[in-house]
Amino acid sequence: MPQIEHKAIQNSVAKTSTRPTLFNQRSLWSLFGIAAIISSIAQTGLFRQDIINPGGWSVFLHFLIASLHPDLSPELLSLTLDATIVTLAYAMYGTAFSVFLGLVGGVLASQVWWQSVFMTYSHRQFQPTAIAPWLIIRALLSIPRAIHELIWGLFFINIFGLDPLVAILAITIPFGAVTAKVFSEILDETPRQPLIALLSSGVSPPKAFIYSLLPQAFPYLLSYTFYRFECSIRSAAVLGIIGAGGLGYQILLSLQSLRYEQIWTFFFALFLLNGSVDFWSALLRHHLGSPNRLDLNSLKLQGSKRPTINRQSHLILFASSIGAIALLLCSFSIKIDYTKLWAPRTIQLLEEFIGEVFPPNINTTQFGELFNLSTQTLAMSILAIALAGLGGMLLCFPAARILLPGGVLNPISQSPHHWFWGTIILLLTRSLLLISRAIPAPIWALILLFILFPGILPGAIALGLHNLGILGRLMAEVIEELDERPLRSLQALGATSPQVFLYGVLPNALPQFIAYILYRWEVCMRETVIVGLVGAGGLGRLLTEQLSSFDYKSLVTTLLCFIVLTFGVDLLSASFRRLVR
Amino acid sequence: MSVGIKSMKKKLLCGIVFFLLTLAACSPKSSETSPSGETKNQPFTVGAIPDQDPEKLQRLYSKLATYLQKQLGVPVTYKPVTDYTAAVTAFKVGDLDMVWFGGLTGVQAQLQVKGAQAIAQRNIDNQFHSIFIANKTTGLKPIQNINGLKELKGHTFTFGSESSTSGRLMPQYFLKQAGVSLNDFKGQVGFSSSHDATLKLVEAGTYDAGVLNEQVWKSRVQSGEANLNKVEVLWRTPSYYDYHWVINPSVNQRYGNDFIKKVQTALLKLNPNVPQQKEILDLFGAQKFIPTKNSNYAQIETIGRDIGMIK
Repeated sequence: MPQIEHKAIQNSVAKTSTRPTLFNQRSLWSLFGIAAIISSIAQTGLFRQDIINPGGWSVFLHFLIASLHPDLSPELLSLTLDATIVTLAYAMYGTAFSVFLGLVGGVLASQVWWQSVFMTYSHRQFQPTAIAPWLIIRALLSIPRAIHELIWGLFFINIFGLDPLVAILAITIPFGAVTAKVFSEILDETPRQPLIALLSSGVSPPKAFIYSLLPQAFPYLLSYTFYRFECSIRSAAVLGIIGAGGLGYQILLSLQSLRYEQIWTFFFALFLLNGSVDFWSALLRHHLGSPNRLDLNSLKLQGSKRPTINRQSHLILFASSIGAIALLLCSFSIKIDYTKLWAPRTIQLLEEFIGEVFPPNINTTQFGELFNLSTQTLAMSILAIALAGLGGMLLCFPAARILLPGGVLNPISQSPHHWFWGTIILLLTRSLLLISRAIPAPIWALILLFILFPGILPGAIALGLHNLGILGRLMAEVIEELDERPLRSLQALGATSPQVFLYGVLPNALPQFIAYILYRWEVCMRETVIVGLVGAGGLGRLLTEQLSSFDYKSLVTTLLCFIVLTFGVDLLSASFRRLVR
Repeated sequence: MSVGIKSMKKKLLCGIVFFLLTLAACSPKSSETSPSGETKNQPFTVGAIPDQDPEKLQRLYSKLATYLQKQLGVPVTYKPVTDYTAAVTAFKVGDLDMVWFGGLTGVQAQLQVKGAQAIAQRNIDNQFHSIFIANKTTGLKPIQNINGLKELKGHTFTFGSESSTSGRLMPQYFLKQAGVSLNDFKGQVGFSSSHDATLKLVEAGTYDAGVLNEQVWKSRVQSGEANLNKVEVLWRTPSYYDYHWVINPSVNQRYGNDFIKKVQTALLKLNPNVPQQKEILDLFGAQKFIPTKNSNYAQIETIGRDIGMIK
């Protein structure tokens, strides 16, 4: 008897003491990731050919110096104001319509809806009868998502002509699909006991949804809506590139005629617009109890905290009135003729366009080139996200409030000296992140083309810079929302600040960082098309050529390549993310 | 706490309702849009492709609109467009009735809109040239004939915009004639997006050489914006037809049968001796406008097909 016991103890000791093998799935995936980055660098030809163009430094310097004296003439300022309002208006309308689409699509794309409709909600497993319509809707939603707003814009120009509707729909369609996907996930994660109670007592599914699931999920839905609004602002600026008006358009015009002083005026307007919208949105999301984009993405709604309501909730009222006033202002600036949506001309143009596009021109001799360009595009997205991820991780710590006195890394100090430097560092990194995300990626690419040869590298760096700003900010939010208890207890046990950082902050934040990076990788992949449009290589470059020669039949083939790539990246990223969760 | 939630919800609800109301308020009254019969008041819409100082083009174009409105007796508006492709598309769908196109885009527009007519060009457009330029530090020397373009092999090179006739199509054609393919250059060929950008990029040495339209080159040399200590002319191409006004045939139905003729006359009548009209001509870099016709651009079409810009 004692012997057996002894053996059991030995066994358990052996079990706990063996180190987990290093050859696990995670390290395998990491190796895979590193290999992908290395081969992407090889793709750029970094060590084989000239990449940096030393001749361009003087122009670049000239451009930078212009930032010190932006053009502040009254005419340009009024133009800037108009352009800002147009951009804001596009974003407003785009968000409003995409949220409406998202709400309808989100209900239809949720498992819980189909389970309610087919009365299979009591089963643990998702029943096959309910799977079929759910799968179909999910698949339908994935196609608009795979195509970038800019491509949608180019399509809508062909059927609406020069019209504000182009920009608004170009934001609405893909964003509506993304919103629908996220909304459906939120609905599926919302506790469903009240819903089941209603359904069981004979309430019809739509009514049951309106009285149980939707109000429960409301704060999260609203929170995500504000996040979408931030994205819409950036997107509205990008759409200027195809001539939709607004700040992006003015920047492009001034860049083409090399009026750097004007460009900076527009840039400052863009910083202001992005900065204030991001600030407002973050504040609101914080008070709605779902501050973190990833909370919506990784879905742990059951455990998450309830919104804390205090006097600051007045802020919500204040902010939404500002929003309403802004919308009112916007309504004067752009007039939207909704009748154009079903006007005979639109339908006729749509028919003509479809005739021009189909059948797509699938030429087997082109496959080699397409494959080549696809690998380049993939490499561009990998480099971009590697740069954005690394940069974001470096900048997010100083951009979070942890260094300030009272923050987790500096809890005791109250010296004004620390306050001063902490605030300076915080403001500096935050504005750095704001600048890099406020400038649209194609504009970054055009600036980089001063000093780099065309190719995938300037495209990758441009995308990297833009996404760095977004990632850095999201990561800083993650750090600020970290559970402070383990960090405080480390401190209480006598750990120094670096130790708290290394053993508390970093391990807690890293999985979320990686999840964000992977999620942004998907976005980067889609965005490769827009830097391609300004000549930064990859499939986007080919697309530009096909666009300028109106070769729509071949363009469809290129677009199909893009969609396949996007789906591939989405799948990879999703399986990575499952691993880190 | 729960009271707090309730009051918040109420306020939120108020905010949302206010939101929706304003949204409803800004949707235009659809009843006001005229049925298709009443089109007299629909403005005659003019556009231009901004490939030379687009920013100035855009901000000064209203002068032409005012002039045309006075001459034609119908409302005229100017719609700005950022790029070539959008301009052609807008012309095709009928959002632009008359556009100042480049040679290639004009042909693309004529091919896409049945009956579209080229009606006027500047006095320089029937004898248009491109200028190959190089940065002086590269050691590239002016060349005597087309075969000299071979010297560019192994150097970096930039075109203007993809769809530009003088900044891309014709230069690429002449390069091809000289036996220089785009792969012969160092690195990838650049597309600078405008003639001014090409000039600046070559001047700065970002690219060893580039090509731009002669008119822009001349005016930048005149104004001193081109630094002749840094850039030099390598070669002036043979002449070809370039920029021209293309008008949509549907305007005749809308404003009367001789409308196209009227527009043409109005353009040709622009007089450099009248200060206000001179301003418009200066904007285009022209002394005056002269008539043109579709068949003048047959060569451009052939070359466009050859290079793959027209399918």
